[in-house]
Amino acid sequence: MSKKIKLAIIGVGRMGITHYSIINSHPEVEIESVADTAGIILSMMDKYLSIKTFKDYNELLELTNPDAILVCTPPNLHFPIIKKASSKGIHIFVEKPFTTKLSEASELNAIYSSIGLINQVGYVNRFNDIFGKVKELLDNKVIGKIIRFKSEMFSCTITKSDESSGWRGSRESGGGAVFEMASHAIDLVNFLIGKPDKVTGSSLNQIFSKNVEDAVSSTFLYKNGISGTLYINWSDSSYRKPTNKMEIFGDQGRILADQHSLKIFLNKPNKDYNLQQGWNTLYITDVFKSVPFYVRGNEFTSQLYHFIDCIQDKKKINKCTFADGVNTLEVIENIFSDYEQNGRVIK
Amino acid sequence: MKQIDKIVFGDNQFFGINHMSQEKAQQLAEKFFDINSIYKVYDYSLEAGVQAVMLNSNDRAKEICNHFRANPQKYQDIQWYPSIPYPHKYANLVAEKGIFPAINEVLFKDNSAMQVLGLMAKGGMAVMGKDAMKIMQMLIDVEMKIFKGLDVKVVFLQNIITDLILGYGIKEVFEEYCEHIRNKYKALPGLITQNMPYLLTKLKEWEIKEVVVCSSFNKIGYLMSPDLNSYIEAANNNNREEFQLMAMSTLASGAISAKEAYEFINQQKIQSVVFGASSKSHIEETVKLINFQ
Repeated sequence: MSKKIKLAIIGVGRMGITHYSIINSHPEVEIESVADTAGIILSMMDKYLSIKTFKDYNELLELTNPDAILVCTPPNLHFPIIKKASSKGIHIFVEKPFTTKLSEASELNAIYSSIGLINQVGYVNRFNDIFGKVKELLDNKVIGKIIRFKSEMFSCTITKSDESSGWRGSRESGGGAVFEMASHAIDLVNFLIGKPDKVTGSSLNQIFSKNVEDAVSSTFLYKNGISGTLYINWSDSSYRKPTNKMEIFGDQGRILADQHSLKIFLNKPNKDYNLQQGWNTLYITDVFKSVPFYVRGNEFTSQLYHFIDCIQDKKKINKCTFADGVNTLEVIENIFSDYEQNGRVIK
Repeated sequence: MKQIDKIVFGDNQFFGINHMSQEKAQQLAEKFFDINSIYKVYDYSLEAGVQAVMLNSNDRAKEICNHFRANPQKYQDIQWYPSIPYPHKYANLVAEKGIFPAINEVLFKDNSAMQVLGLMAKGGMAVMGKDAMKIMQMLIDVEMKIFKGLDVKVVFLQNIITDLILGYGIKEVFEEYCEHIRNKYKALPGLITQNMPYLLTKLKEWEIKEVVVCSSFNKIGYLMSPDLNSYIEAANNNNREEFQLMAMSTLASGAISAKEAYEFINQQKIQSVVFGASSKSHIEETVKLINFQ
């Protein structure tokens, strides 16, 4: 019987609050401490939960000895927190985007690769049962050789002009549609197709935000001849919920997928997957795997339970490591520089 | 405990909600763009013998409630099962502004001056941080305003909130929620969850009783954590005087045919089913199919 994993959470905003609830349900995890700068949150946690709370993450790292940390702060703080945690031998789950600078991400990846501790970035789509199925179909060449793809994401997150406040209002601290949303769609491309060799034709649009972009598009090119496009818009009121869409064309068929369903057109039937010639539809209800505790989607639970599994079983291969986070950030920096090369900047 | 209605008419179909397919959800949103087409479907459900309505406190609910209040003779027998809050309103606000500015906006926007004063007297932003329960009561009261004057039987807390707090394991929130619903609204407290067996275990441990628990319940185990068998077992072992169980997502968003779905549901030890449908024939068919003891 292994002893419980002692866990700390740094940053209890939108994601930290959800992750707390999910991971607290894990029978082999004990949440020991939390750090956040918001006094209101801490005073509530002090009142209702038996954990240690800290206003300063440095104190948490100095005064406690967690086995693992969930880092859910604004993205520009990820680097100093993880760097400090690495010297104490702590396993890390960090929310996306991994960091706000490629150089910092690469440094952390090098450290964690050498010390052999579990390192995971929160690109949750990798744990969605539909996208997992798409990955399996692509790996098994069900639609043949991949030629083209389209990765899109839409939401109604920012739908009116407002004074931008907090970290979400500036790129330096990790705000904007590229860091916050496009990162998901880019990671999905890296996960399903691979990291693009060249990024070109990028554009950023401001719709309602004052200092960051609300929409982004770009073209991805690969040395092996694959090409694809990216389009993200978080000011689209026609979407009730954030929606990722992926379309992949191969020389034997085509796949259209979102988080809830998958359509696949095949030029010839595929017996291994019981797919007929022409259109086939798979719904999430056909492919879902139940999770032990549900808060906001199976993938959020799967992602954190996977982190714990990897800590407990060193033979497990992590599905979204710091190296994956570095790859996504590299594409993001390429999009920004491609856009700025054309003499444009978001102000 | 007052008995809940065996069949409750739900509202997901009206608001572009379909857990299986975003395309279907979009088609529904188009179909019910005109609010009169929503009223028509409610009338079908009444004609089919349904007398209970579950309605989420979303943007369109206010107008729907006004319609029912404006026609008291036609609708006087309806029992209301509101569910609060509308989660996406909060999700988007929180994304845009942060958690506390979002709460602030919900509490003080759309409230006339007198109401704001009333809310301030009760809570006041200064003490908010110290008293989470007061904030919760104020948020409930804001959400419940639109249902004023309707015959409310159960007030449900949406699963995103129930399950979030359940994960934290904070007994006081559930206690206070149930007390507030009983005292202020003279209704039964209801909890929607995707973790029904675990919620029942915790409520028993905390000695919280006389609660209505609504959860997905379908033969493929969709949106049922940890698994289907745990649900069947929890229902079999349940004392209906302590908890009344209501099944939702019985068709698993359309993955199961109605006939097959209710053959399964009719064998379960539950007290109620909430279903949504948007055509007269589907409503009539479903009402005929629901037949549990």
